[in-house]
Amino acid sequence: MARLRLHDLQLARGGQTLLEHLDGSFRDGAITALIGANGAGKSTLIAAIMGMLHPVAGRVECTVPRERCAWLPQQLALDLSFPMSVEELIMTGTWPSHGALKGYCGPHYRRGREIMARLGISHLAHRQLGELSGGQRQRALLGRTLMQEAELLLLDEPFANVDSETVEVLTEVLRDMARAGTTILVVLHDLEQLAHLADDVLMLSGGHGRWVSPEALLDHSTGQAPKAPRLPIDFPEASHAGTA
Amino acid sequence: MLALLDAWLFAPFEYGFMRRAVVAGLALSLAAPPLGVFLMLRGMSLIGDAMAHAILPGVALGFLFAGFSLPIMSLGGILSGLLVAVLAGSVSQMTGHREDSAMASFFLISLAAGVMLVSLGGSSVDLTHVLFGSILAVDTTALLLIAGIASLIVLALAVIFRALVVECLDPLFLRGQGVRGGVVHGVFLGLVVLNLTAGFQTLGTLMAVGLMMLPATTARFWSQRLEGLIAIAIGVALVASTGGLLLSYHLSLPSGPAIILLAGVAYVLSALFGRQHSLSARWRRRAAPLNAPLSSNR
Repeated sequence: MARLRLHDLQLARGGQTLLEHLDGSFRDGAITALIGANGAGKSTLIAAIMGMLHPVAGRVECTVPRERCAWLPQQLALDLSFPMSVEELIMTGTWPSHGALKGYCGPHYRRGREIMARLGISHLAHRQLGELSGGQRQRALLGRTLMQEAELLLLDEPFANVDSETVEVLTEVLRDMARAGTTILVVLHDLEQLAHLADDVLMLSGGHGRWVSPEALLDHSTGQAPKAPRLPIDFPEASHAGTA
Repeated sequence: MLALLDAWLFAPFEYGFMRRAVVAGLALSLAAPPLGVFLMLRGMSLIGDAMAHAILPGVALGFLFAGFSLPIMSLGGILSGLLVAVLAGSVSQMTGHREDSAMASFFLISLAAGVMLVSLGGSSVDLTHVLFGSILAVDTTALLLIAGIASLIVLALAVIFRALVVECLDPLFLRGQGVRGGVVHGVFLGLVVLNLTAGFQTLGTLMAVGLMMLPATTARFWSQRLEGLIAIAIGVALVASTGGLLLSYHLSLPSGPAIILLAGVAYVLSALFGRQHSLSARWRRRAAPLNAPLSSNR
């Protein structure tokens, strides 16, 4: 049985219903892409899954313990003027096991260094977050979720303002995490990235969700992202981002 | 030479009141600057000022009921400071206004109420004492109270340190871990109130903020790391409080302003010549050639 399921979910923001009758389960160890136009309710759904927004009706059933749920917010949510180094950020991922008080010891620092090496940011260990590029920062943030040993990972547009090399590294790490059993939800705008990453797709449009296979969104003849959206949905910025 | 040093640095402390004053100053210098560093990093540098005004009515009430009794006045100060903090927080939550506007409203009300209360019950001398303090009048009870509060602050800060750091950087992460960020924030504001209450006897309600904020803003010109900021801020505060006391002794200056002004001198000098973000650092950076390795200051 899937660890994350939606039951007839209805979500609203500011008195306005954004999504209703949302059903379905997210496969364990699969990467599900969440797509939809701006304002379709992608971030709202993520907030509801994280328990930060109460549903109007229905419910989110999540059997992953709360501290193993990781959320990689859009980068704007961070206070980047705060003095913290990459290594320190990654070490805060030990919160589930260490909480506010327990000290770190050798094995944890070693694990931190392994994670940084895996993400190609070992040379940035002592650099301040405010000095990093968008891509480097995104790697560091993913490093924190690795340290957290997340079993459910929610990513909100992880590839926005990120260089192509970072996209490659992040894609690889996410694939590894999924193979190891992590359930991953990722808000995407780019159909090409969707083709590389997603196992399932939940498409939000007109207040409803539709589960589709990634193949259905891709061009049958080439296996690539189609030039224009072929499905009868209003989906302008995806094709836009695809060409950017 | 040695005799001169002795006369300047050590002889003043043969007096009991100077010894108590310097110990009170040192205790405050250990507790206040770390709080100031966090306030500064959270963009709340002026909240300290607001809180200082907020403790005034409680201090005044304590003064009205019990006369010049430091424990009672401190208790009143703590209570009214916490009350204003809670009120400002809940008003901003209920009305959706930003917390700083609610805070500004409440501290102005508190200031007026406090001054009114002191004037009703005492003379202008008392008012001056409450507003500007007198470190040289610290007695043993006051000293114990100040040292006790300072120790409590340092301990509490050590306990919430990691939570506070994570909450400053990424409140959503902490919430995801099931920790209410509001609780951490509330405890922190409580510590700020406690610290200001400990400081008002020595520096007065208004200038107690100085020993909290000035060392922190000074440290910003020297370090980019949290530990560095805190260590430097504490160093600045220790030097300023001891140096200010000595200056006030030798030159017959009022002690509170002497301490804060000395910290102010450190701030101005650092703004001019500090390693990070200072005027001279900016000038140095502009003069660096294009292909020079990236310096640590951005």
